[in-house]
Amino acid sequence: MTGPARTRREFWAAQGENLKIALDAIRANKLRSVLTVLGNVVAVMSVIMVVAVIDGVNTYVGEKILEQGLQVVYIDKFGLITNDDAFREAEKRRDLTLREARALETRMRLASRVVAQVEASKRVRAGRNELANVTVRGTTAGYEEVGNFEVVEGRHLDPSDVDRRRPVAVVGSEVASALYPRVDPIGQRLKVAGQELLVIGVLKAKGNVLGQSQDNLVLTTLGQYDKMFGAHRSLTITVKAQPGVPLERVEDEARVVLRSERHVPLGKPDDFGISTAETFRALYQSLTGGIFAGTIALVAISLVVGGIVIMNIMLVAVTERTREIGLRKALGARRSDLTGQFLSEAVVLSTFGGVLGVAAGISFALFIRAVTPLPASIQPWSVLISLGVASSVGLFFGVYPATRAAQLDPIAALRQE
Amino acid sequence: MTGPEPSRADGAPLIRIRDLRKIYVMGADEVHALDGVSLDIAKGEYVAVMGPSGSGKSTLMNVIGCLDTPTSGSYQLRGTEIREREDDELARIRNQEIGFIFQTFNLLPRADALHNVELPLIYSGTPAKERRDRARDLLAQVGLADRMHHRPNELSGGQRQRVAIARALVNRPSIVLADEPTGNLDSKTGVEIMALLAEINGRGNTVILVTHEEDIAAHARRVIRLRDGLIESDRAQAPRPAAPHAVPATPAAPS
Repeated sequence: MTGPARTRREFWAAQGENLKIALDAIRANKLRSVLTVLGNVVAVMSVIMVVAVIDGVNTYVGEKILEQGLQVVYIDKFGLITNDDAFREAEKRRDLTLREARALETRMRLASRVVAQVEASKRVRAGRNELANVTVRGTTAGYEEVGNFEVVEGRHLDPSDVDRRRPVAVVGSEVASALYPRVDPIGQRLKVAGQELLVIGVLKAKGNVLGQSQDNLVLTTLGQYDKMFGAHRSLTITVKAQPGVPLERVEDEARVVLRSERHVPLGKPDDFGISTAETFRALYQSLTGGIFAGTIALVAISLVVGGIVIMNIMLVAVTERTREIGLRKALGARRSDLTGQFLSEAVVLSTFGGVLGVAAGISFALFIRAVTPLPASIQPWSVLISLGVASSVGLFFGVYPATRAAQLDPIAALRQE
Repeated sequence: MTGPEPSRADGAPLIRIRDLRKIYVMGADEVHALDGVSLDIAKGEYVAVMGPSGSGKSTLMNVIGCLDTPTSGSYQLRGTEIREREDDELARIRNQEIGFIFQTFNLLPRADALHNVELPLIYSGTPAKERRDRARDLLAQVGLADRMHHRPNELSGGQRQRVAIARALVNRPSIVLADEPTGNLDSKTGVEIMALLAEINGRGNTVILVTHEEDIAAHARRVIRLRDGLIESDRAQAPRPAAPHAVPATPAAPS
């Protein structure tokens, strides 16, 4: 008459029944169930969304911003500044000059090209047409090699333009179409800061990066730039490596040359900034790492709050269904049956929240992909992990209510109205 | 439908209760709900347990139904001492040996009649197909063949109690334990339910009826009266004949 250990068949019969009960309960309390699992929805949605967006940004940054394969080292007055104090300290440094750029060009053996540039955002005009916030950049020759520029019309600025400080310009496609909607830009003139420049070339369109147009640009000779805006500006020097030379070695050589050129004493830090695509990648990764950490914190809070809400609602359900619990006990349900029943219900409930979260997260990621240039992509692992965690929350926070249900005295439970 | 298999201990009664006591501690007071009850019930009997409220009849029913364990004394069901059993064993005994019929029916509101009847079989691990077949069979026997997929709120009180009776019988228990089975029914329906119980008893099932109504107790063949936790009287009687028209015309199923 006493029971043997439960068989596998009994176990699965019970699970089937439990699933049915749990789905019935959710169906009977739709609104309450949805509200209960909001925490889980938010948590799962955040994970999927953030993973999708960051992954999208990763791809984007890798392809567009870092322009891998350029093999260049950037040198400027500030370098990669991430806080105020460092900025104030760097402001005291001496400006980088054209003389230093020339020195790099002559003394470096590992560099195939050294270009010095300076830029500002200005208003440009041609006749009645006007364009604001155009990047006007003064440059030495060879910029097309360090920055991936191509002309579709006319020609690039060449060394003789630069040496003779000619008032000529190569314009971005956006500037060309805005200033010369109906005529060939080549041979036309444009006005910047009261000076006239002759258009000798039009650049091939590059499109947008992070919503920033890359074609809203006017390139002119460094000498002409100085004539327009004064020479007292620090230059940005871009060094392109010889083919096959590792970037670190180029960086080291540039540092040695520049330190001797600027007479930086031994043991003193550089008084200039030197960086490569790798530097930006490292900064970028520390940034996205921060976003990830923030997301994990948000998700953890959502899950704990969500779990407590689920626990609460399960306690309510146990109270509401005290009579049902008593009845099931009278009909032969063991403690483990009732623990299983209410645990399943908590898990089904929180998984339900997880599924809603997956749907919301995917919709949001697709929305971002549709309205921004970010190629947000849904990562299957993020869906699986967040669903798994959401279900575990139900399992964890369901234990207490389920234990309460299992321990109810069947007589008291049956008597309850 | 056959009755339960013969007792393991030969000659022992189905239920053997000796000097059963149940003491509840309520704050500083002790309540002696059962104060030394002894009785035997044989297989196939139809017993009514009567008494005013507070007489201990509910406690006795709970103990017999293995929902509660006595403070002292002995309760043997088919030769097995119940007092020493663990919680899960009691659950199994309730599942296999006891069929409960409640005053308030206690059906699951969201489940249809068929599923309600299947419930005890789920807890005994019966395969789904067999569950369904047996539940269908039982529902047909109580005259609800055409109500299998109705939910409790789509059924009348009498029909609900019939579902509950089918549920009580579905696991072929040793004892059918009915607690005021007609308490929530009008008198005509009550008569029908009592006729059904008489028929169940007639097929060899042991029926124990707890009631405070003389009219209802009159259907039993033996009446045990309790007062203040003690047996006041215990006598056999000629049962009132059941109204024949109320018995469903379905034949007893062979098993």
